[in-house]
Formats: sequence, C-alpha cells, structure tokens
Amino acid sequence: MTTTVTMQRRRRIRVAPLAKHLVIVFFMAVILLPVLWVVLLSFKPINESYSTQMWPSQFDFSHYGFVLTKVNTLPANMANSIFVTLATVVITTVCAILGGYVLVHVRLPGHAIVIWILIASLFFPTRLLSLISIYEIQRQLGLLNTVIGLVFPYVTLNLAISILIMRGIFEQIPHELVEASRIDGCGPWRTLLLVLVPLLLNGVVVVSMVNFVTAWGEYLLAVTLTNDQSVRTLPVVLASAHSGMGQWAFPRIAAVYVLTITPGIIVFAFIQRLYFKGLAEGALKL
Amino acid sequence: MAPAIPHRADAAPGRRIGDRRGDYANWLFLVPAAFFFIGWQVYPILRVFVLSFTDYRYLDINPPEFVGLENYAKALADPLLYTGLWRAFQFTVAFVPLTILLPLMLAALIDRVESSWLSFFYRLVLLIPAVIPGPLIFVLWKWLYDFQIGPINTILVEWLGLFTRQTAPQWLGGTDLSLTAVVIMEVWWGLGYHTVFFLAGLAAIPKDLSEQGRIDGASEWQLFWYVIVPRLLPILSVLVVLRFGTAMSVIDEYLIFGAFDRMSPTYSWTVYMYDLAFRIGDWLQGYASAIGWIGALVMMVFVVGMLRLFRSRD
Repeated sequence: MTTTVTMQRRRRIRVAPLAKHLVIVFFMAVILLPVLWVVLLSFKPINESYSTQMWPSQFDFSHYGFVLTKVNTLPANMANSIFVTLATVVITTVCAILGGYVLVHVRLPGHAIVIWILIASLFFPTRLLSLISIYEIQRQLGLLNTVIGLVFPYVTLNLAISILIMRGIFEQIPHELVEASRIDGCGPWRTLLLVLVPLLLNGVVVVSMVNFVTAWGEYLLAVTLTNDQSVRTLPVVLASAHSGMGQWAFPRIAAVYVLTITPGIIVFAFIQRLYFKGLAEGALKL
Repeated sequence: MAPAIPHRADAAPGRRIGDRRGDYANWLFLVPAAFFFIGWQVYPILRVFVLSFTDYRYLDINPPEFVGLENYAKALADPLLYTGLWRAFQFTVAFVPLTILLPLMLAALIDRVESSWLSFFYRLVLLIPAVIPGPLIFVLWKWLYDFQIGPINTILVEWLGLFTRQTAPQWLGGTDLSLTAVVIMEVWWGLGYHTVFFLAGLAAIPKDLSEQGRIDGASEWQLFWYVIVPRLLPILSVLVVLRFGTAMSVIDEYLIFGAFDRMSPTYSWTVYMYDLAFRIGDWLQGYASAIGWIGALVMMVFVVGMLRLFRSRD
C-alpha cells in the first residue's frame, strides 16, 4: 500500500505542473477568444460581414475612420459617455474620501448607524427598485433625456461600496498621524487635505476604477432615462445597433465596440499594480 | 478664502476632545455623499414603497388614489409573479456556485505559477473581462450567440460538426436555452473579475503555509480545501451573499437579450416590474412598485438567511 501511494504521489508531482498550465491556458483561451473574435470582426471587409470565417481574408482598417466620421451621432455618444463617466468618477471619489475619513479618523456621533446603512444598502436591490421613482424625479427636475441628469443616479450606484473601500484604506493609516497633525493645529479638513490625501493613492485608484467601469457601461438607467439618439451613451447605442446593414454593418458595430472597451483595458494595464495594492489594503475588508 | 484660514486656526485650539457640538459639525463631511444617497436612493425607494399602496399610473393625468393592500393582494394572486420569481431563482442557483468555484480554482492555480512573467500575463488577461462593463459584455455575447454570424454556432457546426446550420441551437430569443445562455455568459464574465478578486485574497495568505503542508505530505486538493478555502471563507461568504442578491435581481442582460416575451425563461420578476412600470398600458407604476417590493422582500429573506447561516458557522 505505502509504495503505491508514494508512486502515485511521485507521478502526481511530475504531471501536476503540466496539468496546471493546461488548465490555465484553456481558461485563458476561453477568456480571450470572444474578445479576439470581435476585434477580428472589426477588421473584416463589409462583404464578409455574414461569412462565418473568423479570420478576415484581408484586413480592412477603414471601419474605425468610418464610424468616427460618418455615423452622425457617434461623436456625441462618445462625448456623452466620457462626460458622464468623468463626472461620476470624480464626484464619487470625493464623496468616498470625505466619507471614509469621517468614519475612521474623526469623531462622528452615530457613525455606527451610517456604516450599518451603507452595508445594508449593498444587499438590497436598490438600483432596480429605485428606478421607477427616479424616472419621476428626473422629470420633475427637468433632467429627463439629458446627459447631465444621468450623473446623479450614477454617483449612487457605487457610492456605498466606495465609501466602505475608502474606510478600509483610512484604517490602514495610523491614527497617531492624524493626532499629530491635530496637535500641530490642523482642523479635520486641513488634516485630510494636507496629510492624508497624499497617502490614499491606491484607494483612489480602486474607487475610480470601480466607478469608471460602472458608469462607462451603465445601461439600465441610460436606456430608461434618455430617448434621443444624440443624448444616449455608448452602451445603449451598441445594444440597440443590431440591424447589420448600412452604417451599422457588423464590422462597423464591432469597430465601435472595440473603441468602447479599449480605453478601460489600456488604463487598467498601467495601473494594475496600484489596483491590486489598493484591493489588498481596503477592498477586501468589508 | 484668505481670511477664512486664520479664523480656522484661531478656532482650532479652542476645540476640546469632548466638544459634542463640534462633533456634530463633522457630519458636514457626509453632506456630499448624503445628497446623492438620499436624493437618488433612499427617497426613490421610500417613494416606490408609498406608490405600491396606490393605483398610480404614470401616463394617467388623474392623481393616484390610495388603495391599501390591493396591489399586494393582486400581485400575490398573479401567476406571472411566481413564474418570474422562480425563473430568477433558477438562474441564481445555476449561476452562483459556478461563478464562485471555477474562479476560485483558477485563482488557486494561477497563484502557484512561479514564473513572474507568466503570472503577470495571466493577470492581464483576467483583467480584460473584469474591466469590460457588464452591459458591454452582454452586447458582445448577444453577437456571439447570434444564429447567423455568431461564432458559437460556427464552432458547433463547422468545427465540431455537432449540428447543421439548420439544426444549430437557437440560443436567444426566448427559447429553452436562453437561461442557459445567460448563465454561461455570466460565468465567463465572473471568470475575470472573481479570479482577480480571489488572487488578491490569496496574496494575503502566507506561502510557507502551503509549503509546510506539502512537506507534511498533503495533496494539492487537500491544501486547497483545508488551507486555502478556510482562509478565504470570510471573503467567500460575503461574495456568495452579494452575488446571490445581484443574481436574483438581474435585469440588464434580459433587456439586452430582448425579453419582453412573457413565455421566455428570461422574463423574470425584474423584467415584469420594468414592463409594468415603463411599457404596459398607462405605465402601471403602482402595481409595478408592489411587484418590486415583493421581489425585494423575497430576496432579503434569502440574503438574511444566508448571512445567519454563515455567521453561525464562524
């Protein structure tokens, strides 16, 4: 018995690394292939739109220029998406820094209730349920069918989790630092701005990234609260472009798609180290 | 701005630790967050709660009337609500275990890749679906599943020869396969961001624990179940509950896959609520609110139950 067990173990040790890499490579292929497919589709000549051949017979790079110049509302859609996303990211990050700071380093009567409400809101289908009345609110405020109107509900989508992430980050900062700054005569606001903000880089990266991904791709609110093609954001345009003909021929839609997903991938590739650090510091401790 | 700063500096030494009124002033830090949180989350939810007791029809000019529990009585006798909840539950039960376990195993494997170059490359690949926002993932998969141009059917027909072009599976559009299609897509998406999430968690586990286990003769499976999983359990339980909640209230993918067909397996209670509130008749938002609140309460029962279960395990 013992000899067979050791033999098995020996064999496992030799086979295991290979099997491990095969499994990983398989999953990597599963992840990459759909993305690769859409990139290749964006390089197909129009007359191959419906061909099932994945590799284009010749690469046609003209679709990118076409969608940027000839599809009349697309530049507006891109500008809408960029504006909504930037505004959401900046506002939510500022709210999250202020919130995280006050929950950790400043005396706040009732701070336990605030934390409880924030955590509870994560488990409640807020986004879905609030939708019915958000429509009404936006109409009353004259924000229906406007780009700027989207920013208000967008900020709330990740607000609770963003504050909780920043709270985790602030907990990593020794309280002595805050005390020292206070003894030096700084009020809570000056302490935050001059002493703490420079230490928050990793947390800001995580919070911005979370909010970037949500706002850049948000669909439900955008499709419900906007009507005109010119005030819509890229995800709504992409989701409704399915005729497969004319200006929305498949390779052209694919080009819009690639243009839409690339900025996030490039930015993330550069900041991924900071992101992982921030995740380990704050986001994993709810 | 300039005169304000000396004023603050003068005020600062006067503040004492036990100054209660000063403490309440610290709520100012929460004002920006509260403005958005109350205005676009708390208020709408309470408003939806109030509406659920009225016969509010959005497009109807007559003011809504209070009808008591009528909407709830009607909803509880509405077979479509039960079907919708059952569909959401089916999706959740298929999706949650897969989207936790597959990434967990993948993360455990990638965590043990020694070459730093390879491990960097793998992480980069994983980040691709993690940084593509959900709705854009759904758009991509709508094309992948396409009956004509979709590469999934191309692979099944031309590469594997399992079907012919005529008998190839119709993934979307309310067929029996539609829910399976959504589950596959969601698991694919989770493969990116859940694995990334677990990798960050695994990085916090000291490597010599596994080393010690290996020296003591534990198999890789044993290490996985007895060393790694228990250490990730706190993250895992939170993630399971969060995913369960989101899975029960999924809606974007159903809307993007075009499911206002009541027979479709993707017509869940969420789509029913949306349909009632923004599409049917005069937009029956009073009734939609009741459906929404019932769905949310059913979900909360499960979520609280699971939280208690995990709490008692610890």
